[in-house]
Amino acid sequence: MKRCDHCHVDVAGDRKFCPLCQNQLTESGGETREAFPYIPTIYRQYNLFFRILIMISIVAGVTCVTINLLVPNSGWWSAFVVGGIVCLWLSLAIGVRKRKNIPKNMMYQVVVLSLLGVAWDLLTGWRGWSLDYLVPIVCMCAMLTFTILYRVLHLKRSDVMIYLVIDAVFGILPVVFFFTGLLHVPYPSLICAASSVISLSALLLFEGDSLAAELKRRLHI
Amino acid sequence: MTKKPSSWSRLDNAAKIFPSTSGKRDSKVFRFSCELFEAVDPPLLQHALTSTLQLFPGFQCILRRGLFWYYLESSAIEAQVKQEWEPPCSPIYDKNVKGLLFEVTYYKNRINLEIYHALTDGTGALQFLRMLVYQYLLLRHADELHACPLLDYDASLGQKMDDSFRKYYQATRQKDHNRLKPAPAYRIRGPRVAEHRIQVIEGVAPVSAILKKSKEFGVTVTVLLSSLLMSAISGDMTVRDKRRPVVLSIPVNLRNYFHSETARNFFGLIRVPYNFGVNPASLKDILQSNARTFKEELTTERLGARLNMLSSIEHNAFARVTPLIIKDVCLRIAYDLSAREETAALSNIGRVSMPKELTPYIRLFDVFVSTDKVQICMCSFEDRMTISFTSAFLHTDIQRRFFRSLTGMGIPVEIVSNQINESLEATV
Repeated sequence: MKRCDHCHVDVAGDRKFCPLCQNQLTESGGETREAFPYIPTIYRQYNLFFRILIMISIVAGVTCVTINLLVPNSGWWSAFVVGGIVCLWLSLAIGVRKRKNIPKNMMYQVVVLSLLGVAWDLLTGWRGWSLDYLVPIVCMCAMLTFTILYRVLHLKRSDVMIYLVIDAVFGILPVVFFFTGLLHVPYPSLICAASSVISLSALLLFEGDSLAAELKRRLHI
Repeated sequence: MTKKPSSWSRLDNAAKIFPSTSGKRDSKVFRFSCELFEAVDPPLLQHALTSTLQLFPGFQCILRRGLFWYYLESSAIEAQVKQEWEPPCSPIYDKNVKGLLFEVTYYKNRINLEIYHALTDGTGALQFLRMLVYQYLLLRHADELHACPLLDYDASLGQKMDDSFRKYYQATRQKDHNRLKPAPAYRIRGPRVAEHRIQVIEGVAPVSAILKKSKEFGVTVTVLLSSLLMSAISGDMTVRDKRRPVVLSIPVNLRNYFHSETARNFFGLIRVPYNFGVNPASLKDILQSNARTFKEELTTERLGARLNMLSSIEHNAFARVTPLIIKDVCLRIAYDLSAREETAALSNIGRVSMPKELTPYIRLFDVFVSTDKVQICMCSFEDRMTISFTSAFLHTDIQRRFFRSLTGMGIPVEIVSNQINESLEATV
């Protein structure tokens, strides 16, 4: 036990200075009880890693744009590099932020990758590859991965179910593109929609009750 | 293979604000500790925790996001007792991790219970900790304590899980006319502790001495200590600052006004203002003014009117169908605006009682809460009152003035603090 003669208080623990007035303490005998452990500063080691990655991206982007400007008549190829870097970081940022909830992470990736794909397709003179191939394939991959992850990671059924439902509903969307004539190559979309319908039916038939309960929880107002 | 669907429940009215507003800066976590006279035995504490959880199944849950509201879902995650390893009141709720909303840790003689405020309030947490300590001591001293009576908390499971806000909500169109006009309050400024940690400084003082002093002034302990806190805060204020009132926010246990045995949230807040710009700064005047405010505010009608006002927002049809993402933003803005009207907070948990057979093993109970301002929490056990300051700021002038005014009245104080290391002190 220590004592502060300025504040007239006893101070527990092994302190040199008074926690109240920061003046020197005097020894007053008795036991020294420590109530809290000393917790060292948490160094954020990951931060440095990401900072280096971001720096590399910036250097790469700026270098490409500079070279592009220095070499005339070579087209706007640096826009592809910068666009690629931005898309990579968008997807990576979501991946890192949602890293602790993998099914949710995947669902976000499906939506973001599909949207980015459509954006690229639009900006590079609409050849239709995003809707023809990218969206249905991403959806199917996600559905397959959900099923594998569920088995491999021993996830709780209710934790995966809701994301599988959202993904399956998203996977039926390409049918709309089929009927509105947006597709040049129909078979990936149709396979995706078919497997979505089958997954949804299986979920409803075999997990209907727990799905209803989960939806009731998630949608209560 | 069929699995029992996990049960779920809505958040109570007071809990609704916490998931939207908690973060690194203010984790909305509070801690109750019990300091024993001997070192804690971890395996026995784990045993005690398991049996306590069977009596409080409402604590065995995780917080999840729905499309419109957050909700609590029962979970089979096993609570693990750990040695204290994080700064006090570190965040517990992480929206990406499914975890229980409380933690039980130990350090030397202390058993710590940290709870996310969305789960319960101080009274509910205290019931849990009392049961935990009771179970632990019965295991630890099985020979001496075999004839120890049961704890006095005998609420049924239904009573513990009861949402008392809903129970006492009356849809009325009556406005709460006496409400203070919203006005910005004086705000404490200064460099903050790094890493959003909080500084904990506790003063342990004899209950009898504090009671005697408050009797001399003719006020309650809460009024006395809140007045001392105001007076301590005013010491830093410049003349310009004094144009704004010092406003203390005081949580009130509604169980004392509306019958309830719930182990979930059931508290209300009252505000106690004092304007140092127009009123004299003598303790006597502050005491008088505060005693009057407490008397006016602490009535069943006033508390009920506020309960109805807050519950009516939750029951509003438009608010109910707004997606959670938008609700989160709105609640955060509303909270930030309302936080501008408060300077600091003071919370008196009151007396903690344990069966008298157990008192020889227990030194004290203490309680404190995360904050981005300055907050006092206090509770007493036998003749030891623990007055805990938590502060997001590095400076300790308010704490110094507060405790010096106590020692100045002849009340002996023992200071216990967490260790804020030098390397943590360089931040703004």
